[in-house]
Amino acid sequence: MKAIIVMSASDNVGNAIEDIVKGDTVAYEVDGERRQFTALADIPFGFKAAVKDIALGGDIVKYKETVGRAAKPIRVGECVHIHNVEGKRGRGDLTEVQA
Amino acid sequence: MTFWGYVRPDGSVGIRNHTLIMANGRGAANLAALLTKLVAGAKCFVQPNENGRDAEDRKTIARTIVGLARNPNVGAVLIVGNKKNGGYPEFTYEAIVGEIEKSGKPLDTLFMADCGGFQQAVGLGMRKARTLARKASEVRREEVGLGRLSLAVKCGYSDATSGMSGNPVVGHLFDRVVEAGGTCLFSETTEVIGAEHIVAKRFTEEAERAKFLAAVERVEAEARATGEDIRTINPIPANIQAGLTTLEEKSLGAITKGGTKPIRGCLTYGEIPAGRGLYYMDSWMSSTALFLGFTAAGSVLNIFQVGGGWFTTDAMMPTANTGLVAPTLYMTGNPRTFEKAAEEMDFSSGTVITDREPIAAAGERLLGEVLGNASGRLTKGETMDVNDNLEVYLRGPGL
Repeated sequence: MKAIIVMSASDNVGNAIEDIVKGDTVAYEVDGERRQFTALADIPFGFKAAVKDIALGGDIVKYKETVGRAAKPIRVGECVHIHNVEGKRGRGDLTEVQA
Repeated sequence: MTFWGYVRPDGSVGIRNHTLIMANGRGAANLAALLTKLVAGAKCFVQPNENGRDAEDRKTIARTIVGLARNPNVGAVLIVGNKKNGGYPEFTYEAIVGEIEKSGKPLDTLFMADCGGFQQAVGLGMRKARTLARKASEVRREEVGLGRLSLAVKCGYSDATSGMSGNPVVGHLFDRVVEAGGTCLFSETTEVIGAEHIVAKRFTEEAERAKFLAAVERVEAEARATGEDIRTINPIPANIQAGLTTLEEKSLGAITKGGTKPIRGCLTYGEIPAGRGLYYMDSWMSSTALFLGFTAAGSVLNIFQVGGGWFTTDAMMPTANTGLVAPTLYMTGNPRTFEKAAEEMDFSSGTVITDREPIAAAGERLLGEVLGNASGRLTKGETMDVNDNLEVYLRGPGL
């Protein structure tokens, strides 16, 4: 059993506080309730795992706030990082319409 | 709750007692640097060149010089120059020496024009600086209340622990110091992008809130003007390789270092706050520039709260002594970073992760650490005689 920390119940990601390997059972607690899922990828210490399914373009929520949007559909247990998330702010590479 | 500090004539309290030698005008910087080598324990600030700089940047340089000299950790000051006046209006005798004089601390000046040139100035300057150093050494530490402390924080090499177990612990410390009547500064305008709505709510004055939001807007516009995704600039590669994904994520973890108290004002780089309490400083995040700006604003101890997940070995003091006269306290909320670099880190709150230590308990431990350093114990960085690169946050072009 491996552990992640989910900062708030409305978050859809949590941070690994140990090195998680694909196939590990991962547990976390929100609002006093213990939940678990199976890791679909390696999630090293400090990296994020999805604790809810996130649709393409959906908000990534951490600290009850939006920290980016899904660049691909993301399933519970996947690693959430630059390969499947993009930022919304400071996007000099996009025109305003795209942003 | 008390510490042992140096009470200055203006009532401010220092935790160190340095003699500072500085040039007024870049043309005398080499004289200042040379004199510093010749006087035991003296510190020197070599200013960036003010020539060909716009008024805004010249003001920033002048503010930095005056602020460093007025910092409570400075016991005595020698200002050297080519001549008393003659440069840009920001660097007149009145604007620099006149402002420093208001602190009431021992101060002397040395102008090459008045003593027959550079080599003669070296001899006279040595005499003056050595006299000042002895004068500064006469001051004794006194026991004063926590509310006399002025602190600042910057976070760096951020990773997931920064927002979980590092910055919130500093936030607790800040709340305690502010409650006691002290002054606390936090900053890093790029790294509030995505979290500015949370910080903005806490300003007590509408005009200060507007200044803050305008600063965030300006920096984001500068970021967009690069034509790049900000993510290729900030979060820096070390953040991304440690698991931080977007600037917004980094920002939301970063702002917790400012605690929860009302924010009294939005300062410009190196600006001395008008009163006590919690202040935001609009500045570039670089550790080579920001600690200097905090020190110019009166911080006597700068906290560098690092994540450090990116580092593989004990290479954990990426900048040393960039507060010049204000020590840097290195801490981490990452238990792995502390394990790798216990010799460099003054404090660890990685226990918030490993032992589920409450944030408040770790914050109280940090307060104890801070009071120890404030009372005279050296930080680990201070034990190294490293004079790191210092940069002043200048925004205009060189013309």
